[in-house]
Amino acid sequence: MAWLGVFFVAPIVIVALYSFNVYTLFGGPHGFTLDAWHTVANSGIYRHLFWKSIEMSLIVSISIVVLAYPLAYYLALSGTRRKYVLLLLLIAPFLTSYLLRVLAWKVILGDQGVINSFLVWTHLRAQEHPISQLLYSRFAVMLVLAYIWLPFVALPIFVSLENLDQRLLEAAGDLYASRWRAFIAVTLPLSLPGVIAAFFFVFVPTIGEFVTPSLVGGTGGYMYGNQIVDKFGAGFPDWETGSVLALFLIIVVAILTALFSRFLQPQRVAAE
Amino acid sequence: MSSIALSKNGGRVLRGFFALVVVFLYAPILILVIFSFNDSDFPSFPLSGFTLRWYRQFIENGDLRAALWTSAIIAAATSVGAVILGVLSSIALARRFFRGKPVVSALLLSPLVIPYLVFGIALLLLFHQIGISRGIPTVVIGHIVITLPYTILVLVPRLEQIEEALEEAAYDLGANRWVTFRLITFPLILPAVVSALLIAFTTSFDEYAVASFLVGTRSTFPIYLYSALRFPTQLPQVIAVAVVVLLVSLTVVVAAELGRRFVESRVGV
Repeated sequence: MAWLGVFFVAPIVIVALYSFNVYTLFGGPHGFTLDAWHTVANSGIYRHLFWKSIEMSLIVSISIVVLAYPLAYYLALSGTRRKYVLLLLLIAPFLTSYLLRVLAWKVILGDQGVINSFLVWTHLRAQEHPISQLLYSRFAVMLVLAYIWLPFVALPIFVSLENLDQRLLEAAGDLYASRWRAFIAVTLPLSLPGVIAAFFFVFVPTIGEFVTPSLVGGTGGYMYGNQIVDKFGAGFPDWETGSVLALFLIIVVAILTALFSRFLQPQRVAAE
Repeated sequence: MSSIALSKNGGRVLRGFFALVVVFLYAPILILVIFSFNDSDFPSFPLSGFTLRWYRQFIENGDLRAALWTSAIIAAATSVGAVILGVLSSIALARRFFRGKPVVSALLLSPLVIPYLVFGIALLLLFHQIGISRGIPTVVIGHIVITLPYTILVLVPRLEQIEEALEEAAYDLGANRWVTFRLITFPLILPAVVSALLIAFTTSFDEYAVASFLVGTRSTFPIYLYSALRFPTQLPQVIAVAVVVLLVSLTVVVAAELGRRFVESRVGV
C-alpha cells in the first residue's frame, strides 16, 4: 500500500507548500525583512478595512443563522413526510453557480434594474429618482452574501436537530415543561453545536470574500479581500504588502478554526 | 399534528416562513429566466415582448463557447483527480489506524476554511517560484486541492456505513486488496463516488478566485462572466447563458441526489 501513501501525501504536500511559500517569497527576493509588516501594521486603511470586513461578515452570518434556524427546525421536528424533498429544495440553489446568483442580484438591484424599473413602471417612484442605494453599497454586498449562504447554513443546523434524541423532548413534556421551556432547556442547547458550526462556515469564508463586493459593492462595499486582490492585480502590484495581508488573513482564519475546532466534526456538515 | 416540539399554529407559521424563504431563494433565478426572453437591451420593466435573440447570440459567441469548453475540461480533469485522491484518502481515514491521523485529517479538510483568494495567490507564488507557467494544468491542480475535502466528506460517511466484515470475508476467501476493492468496496460506495464527482465538477466549473490567478491568458466560464458583467451590452446574452447553466446544474444536482438516495435505499447497506 505504499502507492497509497504517495497519493495520499501528495495533496498534503501541495497544501503545505503553498503556506510555506507565501513565506519564502515574502522574505525571498530581498532577504528577510519586516518592512512590509510594519507598513501594514501602521496603516489605518488596512486596519479599517479589516474591521469593516469582520463587521459585515458578522452581521451576515448572525442574521442568516437566525433565519435558517426556524427552517431547519421545521424540517427536522415538524414531522413532515416530505422532509428530504424540502431540504433538497432549500439547498439546491447553493449547489448552482455562485457567480450567476450574484449576476441575478445585479440585474435586480441596478438603477435601471428590475426593482427600480418596476417602481417607475407602476408610478411608485419617479424615473429621475431611482433607489440607487440598492446596488453598489454595503447593503447590496450583505444582501447578496446572505442570499448565497442561507441554504448552506440550514444544513448543519438541520443535522444537529435531526440527531436530537426526541425522547428527551417527550420527557420534558411529561415533566410538564411548556413548549417554550422545552425548547430553551433541551432543544436549543443540544442543537447549539450545529448552530456554531453553521456560523463558522459562513463567517470564515465571507471575511475573505472579494467576488461579491467587487461586483455589487462599489466603493461602499469594498472589503479586505478586494484590497488583497488589488495588491496582486495589474494596476500597482505590490506583492509584498499583498502577501502580508494574505498571510494575516490565514492567521486569523487559523485562530478562528482552532477556537471553533471542537464544534467542527465533519459529520456536522456532511450532507446525509 | 401537535407535539411538544411544535404547536399546530407554530407549525403553520413555520411552514409559511419556509415557503417565503423558498420564494426568496428562487425568485432571482425566475427573474433571470423571464428576462432572458425579454426583447430589450436592458433587463428592466416593462417587459417588451418575447425573443430568442439572446440565446442565438450566445450560441454564436465563439469566446463564450471557448470559455465554457475550457471550464468543462478543467472541471472534468478536476473531478476525476479529486475523486481518485478522495477515495484513496477516505479509505485510509475510514479503515486504517495510523499515527497522526487527526493531524492528517485536519490538513486534508483545511482547504474548506482557507479563503480561496489567499489560496489562489499562494499557488500563484509557488508556480511563479518554481517556474511553472500558468495554464489549464495549474488550475486543475488548484481545483483538486479545494474540491478534495468535499469528496472526502461525501465518501467517508459512506465507507463507515459499510460493514468491514464484508471486506474481511473477501480477504478470507483469498481476494487481495485490489480485488476486494474492485468487487466489494467500490460497488458499495459507487453512489457516493458519483455524488463526489458531481460536487467536484460543479465546484470547479464555477470557481473564480483560484482560476483567475492561475489560468494565465485563457478564460474560463466564470472569468468570462466576471468580465462580461462589466459591459452592459453583453448583459442580455449573459443572462441567457446564465439561465441555461443554472437550469442544467439544478437538474443535475436534484437528479443526482434523488438517484443516490434511491440506489442507497435499494442496496440497503
